[in-house]
Amino acid sequence: MENQINNEKLLKNDFWYADWSFPILTALLASGIFSGTHMYYVHGTGVFNEISILAMLKVGMEGGGYGAAAAFGASFLFARILEGSLVGILDVGGSMMTGIGIGVPALILATGFTLPLTSFPVALITGALLGLLIGFIIVTVRKFTVGQGGSTYGADILMGAGNQSGRFFGPLIIISACAASIPVGIGSILGALIFYAMDKPIIGGAILGAMFLGFFFPIA
Amino acid sequence: MTIWVLIKSLIIGGLVGFGIGAGAARMYHIPKTQGMGAFRTLGELNACQGDPASHFSFGLGVFFNAWANAVAGGALTGDVGHRIIPNWAAAILLLKGKDPETTLHNPRKMAITGSIVGAFVVAFLNVTAASIPKSLQDVANEVLIPAADWFLNPVMPAIFLLAAIDGGRRTGIYGTLFGGLAHLVMGNAVPGIVLGILIGKGVDDTGWSKMSKIIFTAVVLLFILSGFFRGFDIEMIESLNMTVPNWLIGIHEIFGYEVK
Repeated sequence: MENQINNEKLLKNDFWYADWSFPILTALLASGIFSGTHMYYVHGTGVFNEISILAMLKVGMEGGGYGAAAAFGASFLFARILEGSLVGILDVGGSMMTGIGIGVPALILATGFTLPLTSFPVALITGALLGLLIGFIIVTVRKFTVGQGGSTYGADILMGAGNQSGRFFGPLIIISACAASIPVGIGSILGALIFYAMDKPIIGGAILGAMFLGFFFPIA
Repeated sequence: MTIWVLIKSLIIGGLVGFGIGAGAARMYHIPKTQGMGAFRTLGELNACQGDPASHFSFGLGVFFNAWANAVAGGALTGDVGHRIIPNWAAAILLLKGKDPETTLHNPRKMAITGSIVGAFVVAFLNVTAASIPKSLQDVANEVLIPAADWFLNPVMPAIFLLAAIDGGRRTGIYGTLFGGLAHLVMGNAVPGIVLGILIGKGVDDTGWSKMSKIIFTAVVLLFILSGFFRGFDIEMIESLNMTVPNWLIGIHEIFGYEVK
């Protein structure tokens, strides 16, 4: 928090902190993610999403209609743009990976226009333009909300909740490891204990311990 | 063929890594700066408490699963962008300088490091057809997938709802209302709770201003639209043991949703 106050003067003009540079960052990210879908379309690997969501796009690519992927991706994109501009964090998973990576390609392919997905340079440009647009919308909405209203719309509460839930992940991994198999569970407990004794967050030790013993005693 | 996959992957990974890195570092400067990433990424980055070994092993833990998914389905899962790139970029930066405020929280350093990490990770995942040792793949799947599932549901919804309730009367009311509805309609309460906190705090701070009303309307519209496109209205009518009117089925058919 002190860091924030110290940097306050910098924030408006510095490229790395300013609002005006945000569309450039979203353009670069969207360009990469959209081209990732091009990779999948042409080379069969590289889409930035879960296999389960990719499955919806695959249905369309194999002739089953792009409706589901388009509706799912587009509604996610809308919600995340609104949420992102208001809470201060644009969710990359919903807006970029699902919106730009699945929803928009599905919309484009549904019209029968395949060039943005078959050509790598066109894919890069299409993604960048879409990202630019998203970034622009977010910064514009921000001007009318955070910039003007004097309210952070609960961003501090969300930050707190995000930090709190992150702490749960270490214990969850130990519990999950113990449910997976006895050696993996023991490995995870020992790893967590070692990291705890060394004053490090237990999460790393729990994962490494589980994988180490799991390597010698594979899960049946 | 493979050389093209390599070249394209390096470019794509560099672009994605740049955006993710800069976005992650900018998350530490909200609300003054617009960040990009995810609340859970921020939480997980904080869980590692600026320790390079923890950041690295956290990324490594999900890396094998990501690799398995890439090999099996051609999918670079959310873990690549949400966990591997930001955590490994953080680990590399923290090796050089111990202070997170000058490393992990610096968008320029995170963007450049993220770009390099992204290029390597994406290229590696896309190019390798070779599979990882099966025992490691199994461990990663068996341990991390259930933990991540629990984390997304119910741990995160519960903690976010508690935060909304503790945040004040209004955030509590709207968080509970929209969170519950979101879990019904979208299958996860977190987006609804987030929007509930947003409305509650907005009204607390600025009253029922024009902006508060716009947000409230947009959120209500969002629920109606996503409920409609997911066929929630049909499911609800059916689960109340009523007959779905034909005109409603007709409207759904226009948008390509098949009513059974």
